[in-house]
Amino acid sequence: MEKLLHVEDLNIEFHDHLIPETVVFDFDLDMECGEIVGLVGESGSGKSMSALAIAGLLSRHDMKKRGTIRFEGKDILDCPRSELRDLQGDEICMIFQEPLTSLNPVKKIGWQVEESLKIHTQMTPLERKERALKALADVELDDPERVYDSYPHELSGGMRQRVMIAAATIGNPKLLIADEPTTALDVTVQSQIVELLKKINKEKNTAILFISHDLSLVSQLCHRVLVMKNGYVVEAGDVKTIFESPKEEYTKKLISAIPKCEKVKDDTDDIENMVEVRDVCVSFTRKNGRKKETVDVLKHVSIDIREGEILGLVGESGCGKSTLAKTIIGLQKPDSGTITQKYPNTQMIFQDPYGSLNPARKVGLIMEEPIRNLTDMSPEDRRRLAEEMITKVGLGVEYLSRYPSELSGGQRQRVCIATALMLRPRLIIADEPVSALDVTIQAEVLKLMDKLHKDMGISFLFISHDLRVVHQMCDRILVMKSGVIVEQGYRSEIYEHPKHEYTKELLKSAGLTNISV
Amino acid sequence: MKYVLKKVLSCIITLFIVSLLVFVAFSLIPGDPALSRLGTNATEAALASLRHQMGLDRPLAVRYFEWLASAIRGDFGKSYSYSMTVTSMIADKLPITLTLMLYSMVLMVIISVPLGVYASYKEGTAIDKVIQIINQITMAIPPFFSGILITLIFGMTLKMFTPGGFVSVKISPSRFFGFMFFPSLAIALPKSAMVLNLLYSSLNAEKKKDYVRTAYSRGNKSKTVFFGHMLKNASIPTITFLGMALADMIAGSIIIEQVFGIPGLGRILLTSIQNRDYPVVIAIIMLIACVVIVSNLLVDIIYKLVDPRVKD
Repeated sequence: MEKLLHVEDLNIEFHDHLIPETVVFDFDLDMECGEIVGLVGESGSGKSMSALAIAGLLSRHDMKKRGTIRFEGKDILDCPRSELRDLQGDEICMIFQEPLTSLNPVKKIGWQVEESLKIHTQMTPLERKERALKALADVELDDPERVYDSYPHELSGGMRQRVMIAAATIGNPKLLIADEPTTALDVTVQSQIVELLKKINKEKNTAILFISHDLSLVSQLCHRVLVMKNGYVVEAGDVKTIFESPKEEYTKKLISAIPKCEKVKDDTDDIENMVEVRDVCVSFTRKNGRKKETVDVLKHVSIDIREGEILGLVGESGCGKSTLAKTIIGLQKPDSGTITQKYPNTQMIFQDPYGSLNPARKVGLIMEEPIRNLTDMSPEDRRRLAEEMITKVGLGVEYLSRYPSELSGGQRQRVCIATALMLRPRLIIADEPVSALDVTIQAEVLKLMDKLHKDMGISFLFISHDLRVVHQMCDRILVMKSGVIVEQGYRSEIYEHPKHEYTKELLKSAGLTNISV
Repeated sequence: MKYVLKKVLSCIITLFIVSLLVFVAFSLIPGDPALSRLGTNATEAALASLRHQMGLDRPLAVRYFEWLASAIRGDFGKSYSYSMTVTSMIADKLPITLTLMLYSMVLMVIISVPLGVYASYKEGTAIDKVIQIINQITMAIPPFFSGILITLIFGMTLKMFTPGGFVSVKISPSRFFGFMFFPSLAIALPKSAMVLNLLYSSLNAEKKKDYVRTAYSRGNKSKTVFFGHMLKNASIPTITFLGMALADMIAGSIIIEQVFGIPGLGRILLTSIQNRDYPVVIAIIMLIACVVIVSNLLVDIIYKLVDPRVKD
């Protein structure tokens, strides 16, 4: 019998530069109906390129493709454009990473969900609407009627990704290609989307090609895995074999980069507090038409940060984590309550190292900025200090004269950390410092923070939604929900004997229910 | 609807503020209208009595509110230089200038939008490059110079119209619109080049957006992706520019009227400024302000219709 998808010796070359650059080498893949295959690797490993080629979405001018891609016997690479269009959106559908930008901002959701029916079927507008509402209900959206008439910006990230899935599955495709569909989403939403994909696979027997750099998600969802590096498939096999006995060094590295949950001693009692937050409330007024609504973001929050500890703060986005950080550092004034700090110069590093560095300034100038603003140090001393700090984060002094655009994501986050070090802080607040980074780079940045903690005695308030990372890094953990600290305690208490329902839910969606200690 | 009302209200307030500023400014700038009317040889007594007659000796606030009350009714007072009301002086000139402005606007859209869309659709081809080169040249030519060139080429050489041969719409509508085509073109050309450029680059930027890839993944034809998905998104920045261009065109009209010998508002404005005929100048400034404010209002309303993300 004909395979659903047969890819053999696929090579992809870029031709928009003078020297052609090969990004995918000898890619092979066979998929049967109803199978879920994971495609993992870091960004730039060629996984998205291969997937786009399979979907027939690589532009034909600047890409040269060699090899065969057959979908139910039809050659995707050589068939005429019109035959390819007949498959796209009907038999082969795609979901993308960023659901906000992947939806057309000026068209209603209903219009976009129905679009492939409009192209591939003869249905009347009424039949289409019926199908669209059913598809929206199938992806477990409450109130499909309202969603149908909304615009993308009126929905949350998770809802938008559900909409994308509804739009992709409305015509019951045989193959669904999901390109990093959960990367931009919260951890609880991530596992819901994975569950949804499982359900679709089971009910409609849709084959899924799941592309991700998150190995724990892949292990939850997929039957088979392909590991890619620098354009090559380095290892392939069923999930269990790959995870339990990886052969290739690179696969081992990827698996070990998943933050492990190892038992570390909890011995930070009897240490002085360096920050005391007492009974802090923060609320925002939001204008909703003429009505003014008051939203309580922090409700009577009291926390201590102890000398020399790494304190984790976890919770979903929107729960008030970042507001608490801003309040401690003084960027947000509390409505009531007090904050006492033992040391000045607490610094903050942010999630997005791309957005937080001024692209028009050299790294050296960026790093010297806090010193220039807050002290009267001479330019030579400033320079020397910048050189000292950039070596501390593992970069050479030559990086001081580069622009942020010349650095990789991991290097930029190092620069952000070095900048925070310039004022010799005792406490650094790290707001989701690694969630925008690739998993191997994540591990390096975390290692660096751990080193700074040990060598320089810097304390961290580590804010994250990734419970594995928090487990690896933190001595004590605070769990936050809707502006309230619902649970706090040492790592072992939180991870082994969670008391609050919400903590249990968080652990469950991170796949951490049965931790062996 | 609430959105429109809110915008209209803010327009009216803006208009009042403009009127106050203009009125006060013209009362404070040096230059005595009575003196300019009677000449430097006039006696102090004659000047004083003329000032009294013109109402210039009364307090500023009183004069402003009197002027405002009648201006709302469409009466802008009497000209200092001619024994006519300002309204009657402007009444038959205003339609000519407005025609010129709207005509240019229509030409601008007709020229720029299809060419911009076409060039972007054919991005990278020879025809795209030819359009780009012509566009760069056109953009660099100021309207008065394009007016001179058009007179030279279409008027003197090709004899498609008679330079300076303005025909009133009352005599022959067809010859009026035939003549007005050329000055309108002179105003529209450089602006079209800018609109074309803006539309072209916003369309090209849209091509790289994620939702375009999504649209292709559903099996859309390139044409449908281009016209069904991208065009509306790319038109958003262009609409803003069209509003600014409309406001700018009234200034362009005033210069072009001189080049083509059109008896519009431009000529009265210039002579009134020379004669210190302030009631006329103030009335024309208020009219220009009205046009600018109304075109901004239109842009805001169209914006709201095109982009659902615009908040109330």
